[in-house]
Amino acid sequence: MRIVCPFCGERELGEFTYLGDAKPMRPVAGASEDEVFDYVYLRDNVAGETSEYWYHGGGCRAWLKVTRNTLTHEISSVEAAAGAGAAKVGA
Amino acid sequence: MAEFSWAPRSSLEKALVAGAHGARGIEAGVSLTEIRNFDLIQVMARRGKGAELAKATKARFGVVPPDAPKAVQTPDATLIWSGPDQFFVLSKGGKHTMLTLAPALSGPASLSDQSHARVLISISGAKARTTLAKLSSIDLYAGAFPIGAAAATSMDHTSVTLWRGGDRPDELAVFNLLVFATFAESLWHTMLDAAAEFSVDISHSEELA
Ligand SMILES: [Zn+2]
Repeated sequence: MRIVCPFCGERELGEFTYLGDAKPMRPVAGASEDEVFDYVYLRDNVAGETSEYWYHGGGCRAWLKVTRNTLTHEISSVEAAAGAGAAKVGA
Repeated sequence: MAEFSWAPRSSLEKALVAGAHGARGIEAGVSLTEIRNFDLIQVMARRGKGAELAKATKARFGVVPPDAPKAVQTPDATLIWSGPDQFFVLSKGGKHTMLTLAPALSGPASLSDQSHARVLISISGAKARTTLAKLSSIDLYAGAFPIGAAAATSMDHTSVTLWRGGDRPDELAVFNLLVFATFAESLWHTMLDAAAEFSVDISHSEELA
């Protein structure tokens, strides 16, 4: 498997580390215990397109958001995760 | 009270043995040179200050910093891309140190002195690409990796900053590599093993390639 880093270009899997599902959003402060339990523990086991966080630790050290199909391993999009290239925020 | 000596030494002081290595009786296909005593400053733009840093860098060096994997040469420094909104300033002779760069760039950027935290290795020769092909997945063919091309990548599971410098006088390509000082000896041995079959000419130098 290869990932096309938006900063570095196409690289082999060995340069990346998988974090996990990019879908769960941290609940707002004061959210119910159920919502927090969901966020911390529950994950969908998707057969098809998923959104995942990958870290290009063996390269530019940016966090990436990858859309990948778990059935085919086809990657349909790779974008910088929020915060990557932070110097452009607000610029 | 105990007395200390703080004389800086290269991480390859012991591992590097100047002279011939590997295959005998053939012309050396690979030159491996460690470049010592350089100044290396990591510059990382502060949040939202990318454009401001580019401007301050232009004012200081006459060029904007690379915003893609490239190395930009100025008369007395090399600016090497190391990730989004960050780059290295590599120079010699105390021209661009924390002392002189901080006043110019610390407004829009965080600076960190990496002079003793990295080892700089230069690889060239007729078999340099073949050697590096054993260690790197980057396409180093002349058309894909021209002079000034750079990459933040891994070799033998070790993070490196790789870029192509100016050609040697005999027109052969020169690849420069920055590696974390504590990983340098390990990578050095790996590189020697990879190059041994082509015969290696090992040296160290005070000059930037
Ligand atoms: Zn990258």
